[in-house]
Amino acid sequence: MTESKPSPNPGPAIQVQGIRKHFGHLEALRGIDFELKKGEFLSLFGPNGAGKTTLIGILSALTRPSSGTATVAGYDVKEADPEMRREIGVISHASFLYADLSPLENIRFYATMYGVDQAEERAIEVIDEVGLKPRMHDRVRTFSRGMLQRLSIARAIVHNPSILFLDEPYTGLDQHASEILKEQLQALHTDQRTILMTTHDFSRGLEMCDRVAIMVRGKLALWETVSNIDPAGFERQYLETVEQAKELR
Amino acid sequence: MNAYLSQVKAIVWKDFVTEFKTRELFSSMFVFAILVMLIFIFSINLSVVGANQVGPGILWVAILFAGTLGLNRSFTLEKENGCLQGLMLAPVDRSAIYFGKMLSNLSFLLIMETFLLPVFMIFFNVDIGSHLGPLLIVVFMGTLGFSALGTLLSSLSSNLKTREIMLPILLYPLIVPIAIGSVRMTGQILDGKSLADMMNWVGLILCFDIIFISVSIMTIDHILEE
Repeated sequence: MTESKPSPNPGPAIQVQGIRKHFGHLEALRGIDFELKKGEFLSLFGPNGAGKTTLIGILSALTRPSSGTATVAGYDVKEADPEMRREIGVISHASFLYADLSPLENIRFYATMYGVDQAEERAIEVIDEVGLKPRMHDRVRTFSRGMLQRLSIARAIVHNPSILFLDEPYTGLDQHASEILKEQLQALHTDQRTILMTTHDFSRGLEMCDRVAIMVRGKLALWETVSNIDPAGFERQYLETVEQAKELR
Repeated sequence: MNAYLSQVKAIVWKDFVTEFKTRELFSSMFVFAILVMLIFIFSINLSVVGANQVGPGILWVAILFAGTLGLNRSFTLEKENGCLQGLMLAPVDRSAIYFGKMLSNLSFLLIMETFLLPVFMIFFNVDIGSHLGPLLIVVFMGTLGFSALGTLLSSLSSNLKTREIMLPILLYPLIVPIAIGSVRMTGQILDGKSLADMMNWVGLILCFDIIFISVSIMTIDHILEE
């Protein structure tokens, strides 16, 4: 994998203070605070509806927070600065890929959108990195879920971002595809990219991360370094944390 | 500015490649437009009513109805696999997304009209060859306004479950000034008048073209947000 470009901004890669988000009467986020240093990998666990995707939406400047502040690569997410957008890549359960275009056409298109120099060459380079070069002229519509997710990685890193947001990237993947995705995420982490990943998969989530968080009903119920977590007992710890957080509400 | 133009160009290019591969949009718009014209031809006795009187109205009804099909598809394509979200994540000015989609829609409609005009000429037995220049200008001005407003409303309705119904309900009342102007001008051109004889209509359509494009640029940020 290509090494990420060094971020020009000193300080933490992600800083979140008192972020809240309302959708009408529903309070999706109820005051989130955390800080992630450059190069750190955070695995964020939580039940469905906990607010994980909303948090990623806010940090990637797709959704505006109702209150609170958040900076990503030193930029205020409310400003949605184009420079901030160049610093982040997002991999979601939706691929963001045009089904009737080929991988090369898709990635070259996104490279142009991000203002990447020599878009075609860069597109071929990242497609090769995710092992899809032999199929780069086929229609994306013919791809399996695993191949789509690998191509999503190529799309997300084509502009060489320093921060990656992964929203349940393992969803719908079989064991083989999960293993390939894991190897690619490991390579991205080795390149000193800051990564925030939401997942329901405990073993996948714990094996690569530096920090672990559990989110329940719009609040962080646990924030720990991975060295303080016992992988064997994490499922029980998770269930207890979720139950306690629900009772406290 | 170069980056902005590259992004607009990339969006148009992407829509053209998709259409070239699928051929869904052009064929459905063209067939629909011809069907609309055929229905009117069979229901009107052209020996009683002059083709120059009813022809322009039928031509523009066919263009607007067929164009609505294309507009409905325009942002639906962006919604598939969350592509619009992918575009929104990129450092792209929202107006570049609008202009890219608007130019794609405009181009598809103009190509469709290039094939439709000879069919119109044959169906209604009218000679458009001698008025081709002014007619093409009118068709372009009308189609520009329709695409400008239609692209904006297509982006707005694409988030709704009832988008196929909402788009025409929102679009047709607002497009009335351009539709009336285009029909009147097309009729007068077929009667042998020059554009100089109808500058009031030219002014009206151009005015609405500018209004629709300006309003779209001002509002597209809020429409695409969230």
